[in-house]
Amino acid sequence: MAIVSARGGRPWTFYVLAAIFVGYVAFLYGPMLCIYVLSFQGPQGGLTFPMRGAGLHWFNQLLSQGDTGDLIGAISRSLPLAVLVMAITVIVSFAAGMAFRARFPGSNWLFYLVVASLVAPGYVLGIGIGLMFQLLGWNTDWYTSALGAQLSWTLPFGLLIMFAVFGRYDRAYEEAARDLGAFPVQTLRLVVVPMLLPGVIAVALFGFTLSYDEFARTLQTVGSSNTVPIEIWSMTQNVTTPSIYALGTLTTALSFVVIGVSLGTIALIQRRRVGMKSL
Amino acid sequence: MDTAAEITPSPARTVTGHAGAIELAGVAKRFPNGALAVNGINLRIAGGSYCCLLGPSGCGKTTTLRMIAGHEEPTAGEILIDGSNVVGLSPRARGTAMMFQSYALFPHLSVRDNVAFSLRVRGTPRAERYREADQVIEQVQLTEFAARLPGQLSGGQQQRVALARALITRPRVLLLDEPLSALDEFLRLQMRAELREMQRRLGITFVHVTHTQLEAVAVADQVVVMAHGEVRQSSSARGIYAEPRSAYVAQFMGGQNVLRGTVESVAAGIATLRGPGGEGYAVRLGADKALAGQTVEFAVRRDRLSLASSSTVNSITGRVRAIEYQGTFVKMTLTRSGAPDFVAYVDEGAYFRAPVAVGTMASFGWELDEAHLLVSE
Amino acid sequence: MSASATLVAAVGRRRERSWSLSSLLLALPLAAVLVCFVVAPLISVVAVSVFRYDNFAVIPGFTLENYASVLSSRLTLSLYLTMIRLAAITWAVTLVLGFCVAYFLVFHVRSKLIAIGLFLACTVPFWTSNIIRMISWLPLLGRQGIINQALLTTGVIHQPLGFLLYSDFSVIVSYVHLFTIFMIVPIFNAMSRIDPALFEASRDAGASRWQTMRLVVLPLSKSGIVLGSVFVITLVMGDFYVVKVMSGGSLASVVSAMVDDISTLLFPHAAASAVILLVVLTLLVAGIMRLVDIRRELVAER
Repeated sequence: MAIVSARGGRPWTFYVLAAIFVGYVAFLYGPMLCIYVLSFQGPQGGLTFPMRGAGLHWFNQLLSQGDTGDLIGAISRSLPLAVLVMAITVIVSFAAGMAFRARFPGSNWLFYLVVASLVAPGYVLGIGIGLMFQLLGWNTDWYTSALGAQLSWTLPFGLLIMFAVFGRYDRAYEEAARDLGAFPVQTLRLVVVPMLLPGVIAVALFGFTLSYDEFARTLQTVGSSNTVPIEIWSMTQNVTTPSIYALGTLTTALSFVVIGVSLGTIALIQRRRVGMKSL
Repeated sequence: MDTAAEITPSPARTVTGHAGAIELAGVAKRFPNGALAVNGINLRIAGGSYCCLLGPSGCGKTTTLRMIAGHEEPTAGEILIDGSNVVGLSPRARGTAMMFQSYALFPHLSVRDNVAFSLRVRGTPRAERYREADQVIEQVQLTEFAARLPGQLSGGQQQRVALARALITRPRVLLLDEPLSALDEFLRLQMRAELREMQRRLGITFVHVTHTQLEAVAVADQVVVMAHGEVRQSSSARGIYAEPRSAYVAQFMGGQNVLRGTVESVAAGIATLRGPGGEGYAVRLGADKALAGQTVEFAVRRDRLSLASSSTVNSITGRVRAIEYQGTFVKMTLTRSGAPDFVAYVDEGAYFRAPVAVGTMASFGWELDEAHLLVSE
Repeated sequence: MSASATLVAAVGRRRERSWSLSSLLLALPLAAVLVCFVVAPLISVVAVSVFRYDNFAVIPGFTLENYASVLSSRLTLSLYLTMIRLAAITWAVTLVLGFCVAYFLVFHVRSKLIAIGLFLACTVPFWTSNIIRMISWLPLLGRQGIINQALLTTGVIHQPLGFLLYSDFSVIVSYVHLFTIFMIVPIFNAMSRIDPALFEASRDAGASRWQTMRLVVLPLSKSGIVLGSVFVITLVMGDFYVVKVMSGGSLASVVSAMVDDISTLLFPHAAASAVILLVVLTLLVAGIMRLVDIRRELVAER
């Protein structure tokens, strides 16, 4: 795959591009690392370096609700919402991914609808859902309007991943299963889903994290009680202490746990498959 | 093992004075990961000839081809084309062109643009390069497909595009990396003949990598058998098939039974051997020497055998294990205790006049001159 | 046609139809969610955009006043000009950066496993909060921030640089930080499908590295570039919080003006503005998508 000069050495472009890549990664992670470090300051800590003291002061501050509204409440809504969105995203985009392997009436329209919900400004969709609920006389809430708003964002992503997953999947496996007498549901349960499990986990990862961090679409649809990103947003408007960094550290840590578990599971499955092949 | 001595003179058919003569001198390639792909090969390919590099996968044949093309550089040795060292030169400066195994057609360019690509990067004006491309496209009979994209063509048509693209720069040497492997059997035979015909018409050197023995002997003037990064034998197609130098080549080319025996006596250039099962053999030594007590190997062609009564000199007796009808002949496999299977190709008519049942005993014998001494490696 | 051939064709047709029927059922949940939470809301926006309003309430009716008000406002024009400028700069930077990163990962990293690892390293921040990633620039770019401190101590400058934070610069830095991944992934996908033998074929034909780039790699990466451009441009055009926070309130975007409208309950005005933005974006995206058949690029059909 790699470009190698005929002598087997690296061309000069390798070094230029490697430098750009390293620079990009530093640019990507550097600032985030800064706020993680700054969140562990002592009570005199400010918004920038140098560090003033060290400790968990700002985390205590955060959880004792000195600076914020209802963080614990926000987390207690964000987590179940993310799990719900994840579950729906996995099932619906898996089904739609299977559907798109063949043309069906309206498949073009649905495809463009998916593209539209991906590129439509999130806040505009949020207003739309808010207005729709208002016109219908319903109350917006995190488990109704915000759930739908987030699905309009996670489902297109889930579907795009399923496109990639099914693109590398050979339909002959399904035909073999049918040939051996499996009913459609058995084929799905015993062949398709296990084979595509890594892709399904990736969709779940997207579903969870995109929901957990969703902001623009949720802002106008969440109703009276906030989710975590909106809590963070209101802190950016009025909090000028490192407790906002503490919140960033906390919520990113949770994201990293989810990412780690998902990627670890995928790696485990892949390794076991490679192992089976070598037997 | 003897590789340095394998510089075989060019086959008789080749016209001397053609451009595109290739010489490899001590060429070796070690990859950065330490694998030694080519281990110091010497090889001379006459200009204007059709040469096949033949060997199992991993024998270094493709690496050798890519070194001639300039897509790999040797870690040692020299590559000469028409007498000048081309190591370090770009493919264009070498005057070579390569046809890739997967064809490597540019999927976003039409047939015409694919063929005209090398003229385009040379800065040839559009009208001129299209005119030249159309000529070459006509030569490969693809005129009606000139505006299509490669994805809209069949495998055989794609191959012609690849051929046209390689030929448009009028190379001295055309390098073909398993050119027929992606085609089905019928097209393979057809394209094989077309390649040979194209080479004859252009009079340039073709170097063709393949792992199929029949393909190599069918098209090539010169066949080079490689194994483990070394040349095992290089000679004319007939020479390599009829007179394999070693047991390896004989077994790899097929069509031969390899037998072994211990020299009992040598008289008048003929050695009398005793096989492991006590069979008696006589083999002409030629220029080779053999001492009494030495174990030697020799080859006997499968199609030069006749049904014999058992226990004469130069005969084999065994139990018939399998009989395969092959159309023009019948393939009989005999098993013998303590020795490899022995295969005989029996004339179809002869076989059906006196069929032999599986499980019965049979004996085959051969004339003295059909046995051919092999070099031990 | 013989009877048996007719039969085979009929069976084939029936199988074809049964596939598309099951496809229809499988696609139904997705269609239902998108109709309820994308189509219906957008219709609501259009509906409200022609409603009247006063200081207290939205009054159903039909008027084009909201559109007239939005379109005649000088503010609207300046908002669009600002966003087009920011989008253009962000697009150019993310395109170059994304192309380089994808090219490096696909064509220069020898081990496929390492390439996937590095690709994931680029992707992981995408799965964390955008707002957190945005504010993480504050301690770096401020007047007392790390960059100014470092430049002052090394003596490169003698006054802290003011333009680093609360400026166009900090807004664009945040956009690049947040959105480059949307450029990397599609270009990475497109490049991954390029047969490496094409590089050798191109070299064999005498092409220089630059010619190979221009004539082979760029055209074959086009679908990824187009898709990435659509993402980046629409994300920037739809932004309201980066521009608000990172410019320190000195800049406003089309959407952040909508946010202000909503906070003062001017729903119809915001809705009219939203409809105009959607029209602009639709035209833009449709124009870009004409360059490439996105569906063919994304969907693997049998």
